Amino acid sequence: MLYHPLVIFFIEQGVPVQTVLLLLMLPVVATLVAFFRQVVGIKAFGIYTPSLITFALLAFDPNGLKYGITIFVSVILVGMVTRFILNRFRLLYLPRVAITLSIVSLTILLILVTGGMYQRTGLASVSIFPLLIMITLAEKFVATQIEKGSRAAFILAAETLVISIVGYFLVSWQTLTVLILEYPWIILFTFVINFSLGKWTGLRITEYFRFRKIARHL
Amino acid sequence: MFEFFKKSQGFLGMNSRNLEYIRPNNRKRGMEIADSKLLCKRILKKNNLGVSTLIAKIKNYEELDQFDFSTLPDSFALKPNRGFGGEGIIVVYARKKLARNTTDENKNNVWIKANGSTITAEDLKSHIRNIIDGSFSLSSVPDIAFFEERLKLLKLFKPYSYKGIPDIRIIIFNRVPVMAMLRLPTRASDGKANLQQGAIGVGIDLATGTTTTAILGKGHLIEYIPGTRLALSGIKIPYWKNILRMSIDAQSVSHLGFLGADIAIDRDRGPVILELNARPGLSIQLANSSGLKERLKRISGLKIKTTERGMRVGMNLFGGEIEEEIEEISGKRVIGSVEKIKLIGKDGREIEVEAKIDTGADSTSIDIELAKQLGFGDALKTFEEKVGGRDVLTELSKEEREKLFSSIPDLADTVPIKSSHGYSYRPIVLTTLIIDSIPIPAKVSCIDRSHLSYPVIIGRKHLRKFLIDINK
Repeated sequence: MLYHPLVIFFIEQGVPVQTVLLLLMLPVVATLVAFFRQVVGIKAFGIYTPSLITFALLAFDPNGLKYGITIFVSVILVGMVTRFILNRFRLLYLPRVAITLSIVSLTILLILVTGGMYQRTGLASVSIFPLLIMITLAEKFVATQIEKGSRAAFILAAETLVISIVGYFLVSWQTLTVLILEYPWIILFTFVINFSLGKWTGLRITEYFRFRKIARHL
Repeated sequence: MFEFFKKSQGFLGMNSRNLEYIRPNNRKRGMEIADSKLLCKRILKKNNLGVSTLIAKIKNYEELDQFDFSTLPDSFALKPNRGFGGEGIIVVYARKKLARNTTDENKNNVWIKANGSTITAEDLKSHIRNIIDGSFSLSSVPDIAFFEERLKLLKLFKPYSYKGIPDIRIIIFNRVPVMAMLRLPTRASDGKANLQQGAIGVGIDLATGTTTTAILGKGHLIEYIPGTRLALSGIKIPYWKNILRMSIDAQSVSHLGFLGADIAIDRDRGPVILELNARPGLSIQLANSSGLKERLKRISGLKIKTTERGMRVGMNLFGGEIEEEIEEISGKRVIGSVEKIKLIGKDGREIEVEAKIDTGADSTSIDIELAKQLGFGDALKTFEEKVGGRDVLTELSKEEREKLFSSIPDLADTVPIKSSHGYSYRPIVLTTLIIDSIPIPAKVSCIDRSHLSYPVIIGRKHLRKFLIDINK
C-alpha cells in the first residue's frame, strides 16, 4: 500500500496507521450523515450517535455487522422494555436513565457470557469501548422516547442503524481506504460537500414521498 | 416523472423552511417568545390580543409546597411553560362532588378529567414536580408549571372533535396570512389537536374561512370524520376575519417573521391565541393540498404596512379556491348579491357601478341619470316628449304605437306599466353588461332610481350564467 509522505510522517511520529485512518475517515462519515439528513431525509439521533456507531461496528470486525447489530438491537429492545416497566413508577429523568443504563449493561454482559458458552468468543474479545458506545445509545433512546414517544424513538433508532451500516460499508471499502492514505488531502472535499449541503434548499427525498399524493392536485 | 418533480417544487421542505424562512426571519427574541408560553401570553395580552387567563404559576418546589390547591377553580388547564406538541397538559372539567360530612380538606380537591377519570391534588402535585424537573420541556431544562382558564368548546365544533378543543393554525409571513388549517382532536390523538399524534387537519380557504380538503395524522387524505358521514369540507369558521387580524397582529408584536399562530375559539370569549410557533410544521400543505413555497414566493418583498392590507392580500391571493371549484363543476360564475359591474352604452361609453343582484326581479333596470351618461340622453328626451304622460295604450292603435316608437332613435323596446293615470310605457335601451368579466348584451329599462341605494338592479333574465352567493 502506498502512503502519502504526510501519512508516513504521522506514522513516524508514533501515531498508529489505524488511528490516522479512522481520524481521516471521520469527516467522511460525518458528511455521509449530513447527506442522509439533508438530501435523503433520514434523521437518526443527530450526527454524533450514527458516526460513533459506525466506528463501533468497525471495532467489532471481523464480524462487525453480525455482532454490532445484535448489540444495537438488544440495547434498543432493553430500552423499550425498561420504559414500559418504569413508566408506572413516575421516576425523575436521571435516575430513570441510570436504571436503564444498568439494565442495558447487565444484558450485554449476559450476551457476552452466553456467546462464550456457545464458543463464540469473538464477541467477548472486543475491546470495551465499542460496547460502551453502544450502551450510551440507551440514553439517546430514552431521551427521545420521553420527548417524542416510543414510535418516533424506534424509527430514529432504525434510521441510525441504517446510516451506521452504510457508513460501515463506506469506511471498510478498500478503495476508499487506499485513496485516503495515498491522497489524504481529498478529505478537504468534504468541506466543499458540506458547504453545498448547508445551502441546499431543495426537497428531501422523503419529502417527495410525503407530498406525492397531493402533488397532482397542484 | 419530470412533471412530478416540477410540481413538487411548489412545496416547502424542511431544508428550505429552516434556511430561507426561519433563519433570516425569526430572530432570537421571537424564538424566546415562542418557546415560553407565559412570556408569549404576557406580550399578547399587553397588546390587547385575546389569550386565556392565567390563574397561577408554580416556579419551583417551594412554591409548590406553599400552593393552596383549594384556591383553584372547578375547571382549568395545567400546562408546562416550555412544553411542546401538547405534551404534559392536564385539563379538568369539574370538581368532584363531596361526600357529605367529611372534614378532610383534601377530599375537596378532586377534579374530573375529560375521560371521566378523577385526579387528586396529590396527582397534580406529582405532575407539577415532573414539569418543574423539565420532563416535558425541550432538552429537559427546568420548567415552570402554570394553571390557566379552561377554554370551552364551541357548539359548532362539538360533532367534529373528540374530547379536546380544535384549534386553527395560521402561517403568517411578511404580515400576510399564507395558509391555514383547522385541527380537530381525535380518539387516536387522545383529545390533542396535534397532527403528529393523529389529529385531523382540515385546510381552510383564506378568503371565506370555509374548510376544504382534509388529512388524518401525517398525511392520509380523508373526506369524512372516520367512522361517520360527517363531511369535513364546507365548515364555516366563525370570526374568520377577526382570527386573521389577530394572527397578523401577533406576528407584528412577536418579531417572528415566519410564524405559525395557533388560535382557538372559546364559546364565550371568541378567538383566543393559544400559542405562537417559530418552527411551524409542514403538514399544513397536505391538509390544504397546496404548496407553501409557491405562496411564500408570491408575497416576499411586498411592503405591507397595515393589518387590514395584509389581511386583504392574503384573502385575495390565497382564497376563492372553493368558488373556482364550483365554477369549474357548474360552468357558472359565482357572484355576490352586490357586484361591481360595467355598462357599455352608445359609442362604447363605459361606466362602472355597483349593481344589486336581484333574483326576485325579472329584468334589469338602470337609473335615468345613468342612461343619460351612457349616451341615451337624446333617446330618453324624445321619448319623454312624445310618450311621457300619455296613456298611449288606449289612445293609439298598435300600428300607430309602433310607428311612434320606431321614430325614436336608440329605443330598443318598451315595457308597459300601469300607473295612476292608466297605462304608460317605460323606455328600454340596448347596452352590454359586464358582470364578473363576462359580457352580456341586455335590454335594460330606464327608470328613476335616484332615491334607491343602487343605480342598477340586475334581474333573472341576465343572471343565467351565474350562481349567487349571498355571503359574498
